[in-house]
Amino acid sequence: MSEAHSAPHADHSSENEKYHAFINLALVLAAITGIELVLVYLPFNEFLIFSVLIALSLFKFVSVIAWFMHLIYDRLLLTLAFGTGLAIATGTVIALMFIMDRGFVDFEAITAF
Amino acid sequence: MSDAATAHNNDSHHNLMVDNKKLLMWLFLGSDCMFFGTMISTHLIYRKLYPESFDPTSLFSLELTSFSTFILLMSSFLMALAVSAMHKCDMKSFRRNIIGVIFFGLIFLGCQVYEFTEFAHEGLTLKSGTFGSTFFMLTGTHGVHVAIGVFWLICMYFYSHTGKMDPHESAVDVEVAGLYWHFVDIVWIIIFTAIYLIEFI
Repeated sequence: MSEAHSAPHADHSSENEKYHAFINLALVLAAITGIELVLVYLPFNEFLIFSVLIALSLFKFVSVIAWFMHLIYDRLLLTLAFGTGLAIATGTVIALMFIMDRGFVDFEAITAF
Repeated sequence: MSDAATAHNNDSHHNLMVDNKKLLMWLFLGSDCMFFGTMISTHLIYRKLYPESFDPTSLFSLELTSFSTFILLMSSFLMALAVSAMHKCDMKSFRRNIIGVIFFGLIFLGCQVYEFTEFAHEGLTLKSGTFGSTFFMLTGTHGVHVAIGVFWLICMYFYSHTGKMDPHESAVDVEVAGLYWHFVDIVWIIIFTAIYLIEFI
């Protein structure tokens, strides 16, 4: 029996549990967004604020994927399918940020045209 | 092996023990991660190389962008509820939540249009330097993704009224649409932090 046929037969109690998880997560995500907005205006160390912002964003990113996108309830294959692309994208971003540093870029060669 | 198990394994929708539509969507989202990753990194690199080219803090309205982020997060929440409703074969709840997602999606797009218009009036356009081109390419592409998602959900909503939408058959289709919408949301989470918030530190 396909998943499409078995989906309607899913236990309604598990769907109700997910409903409560969704509510809680939505409230947490809204609160985090508010915290991020306030955080940038606080007179703290730049590196600290930057790190906290990144951490909060990563938490939001992972929690939406895990719960709203149902990845924790699904098979590992789907995590691998998405995770591969995500890992390549993250690696590319990090590599480019290091490669394209001011010290490595020859501005004269770029502006020669 | 029993006939039922054999039939299940031979089901053309489940070659790898997961629904093919879901697997394909997750693979597509993985590729879209690379797509947005390159655009985000391009913007950040040009900001790093030419920090004096433009100061966006005078233009960015963090309040409006935070509101947009909140709207998109809540639309993601409603989308999760819509998928859950479809799994429970509750068509009324599904339609109600989908309308909410569409409404919030349109609000987000409206905020983006307003923001882009304001920027254009202040001289920041797609052609006004590296910041303008990378910023509008990134946020514009994301906006197009949101627009496609809204159009998809509108079609799904009207299809649910035709009487041809069987909850048993369409649960996976709704779930796949939900995956796309949630992805659009998580991309915005990254854009909000990396493009908007970082400028104010």
